[in-house]
Amino acid sequence: MSAKIQRLGEVDRIIHEPARLMVVALLAAVKEADFQYLHQSTGLTKGNLSVHLSKLEEAGYIAIQKTFRGKYPLTICRLTDLGREVFANYRKVIRAAL
Amino acid sequence: MQNSSSLPRLEDPSRLAQRLMQKAHNQDGLPEIAMGLFFLVVSGLICAQVTLPHGSIGFRIVVLALAILIPALGLSMPAALKWVRRRYFIERVGYVQHKPVGWKQIGFGILVAVLVAGVLFGVVPRLSRPDGWLLAGTGVFGGAIVALGGRLPRFLVNGALMAATGMILAYSGVSLDRGFAILYGFEGVVCLVSGGVVCLRFMRQPLETGE
Repeated sequence: MSAKIQRLGEVDRIIHEPARLMVVALLAAVKEADFQYLHQSTGLTKGNLSVHLSKLEEAGYIAIQKTFRGKYPLTICRLTDLGREVFANYRKVIRAAL
Repeated sequence: MQNSSSLPRLEDPSRLAQRLMQKAHNQDGLPEIAMGLFFLVVSGLICAQVTLPHGSIGFRIVVLALAILIPALGLSMPAALKWVRRRYFIERVGYVQHKPVGWKQIGFGILVAVLVAGVLFGVVPRLSRPDGWLLAGTGVFGGAIVALGGRLPRFLVNGALMAATGMILAYSGVSLDRGFAILYGFEGVVCLVSGGVVCLRFMRQPLETGE
């Protein structure tokens, strides 16, 4: 097995989970997004998305802020510096393996 | 020893994000409705230009509108879409703050514009039946942009229709002005209907509350 494929074993397991990868990839591509946008874009159920966001927040990869836009409640998510760094490394490994 | 065909399918995470964002962008039909209205305005102005007497005040207003209003409308469409979504659709589409457009994308856009201008002014006038080539080229190029912009079946159909319309108009020998009016008018109606249907279906989805 080539060294590049072997490096796949080193990827961050928190990000590598498909649902969390979608969330992190989206947040890396934007400044910030709310729960509803992530729910619509990823197609995950609200409960499932909630669980994955909690895991990412516990790991320190995303920051969640609850606020309001007028009367509409917003749960805004954005990648932390740690999250961006870990995602950048992950992306490097995946691109090398592709 | 594991061979690569048994490994899970890998995708570049940036491409994954682009795909998901494009899907989110097109799910409510609003971009198509906006494009449809834009095409209809262009078609209407071209029709007015063809109909009004040359040199009349109305003719001059129409020419100014084509020169100033159309580019302004085109440039303001993304901001208008963003405003409509945040004002009326936020509960359904959610909130997102995109990163500003990078210099690479701006540079790419300028390069494409220069290439198109080069073809328009440098190559087309030397061809026999330049009007026909312009109509066909607009249809095909515009259709390609529509198809690639959405990458969903309905965008591929819309793009193919635009390309076919351009080529049919070129073959029919219709004048350039009338040809453009028909091309943009037809594509405007197609985009409006397609976007309207998608928007209605999107609005009919039950709204889930809570997180």
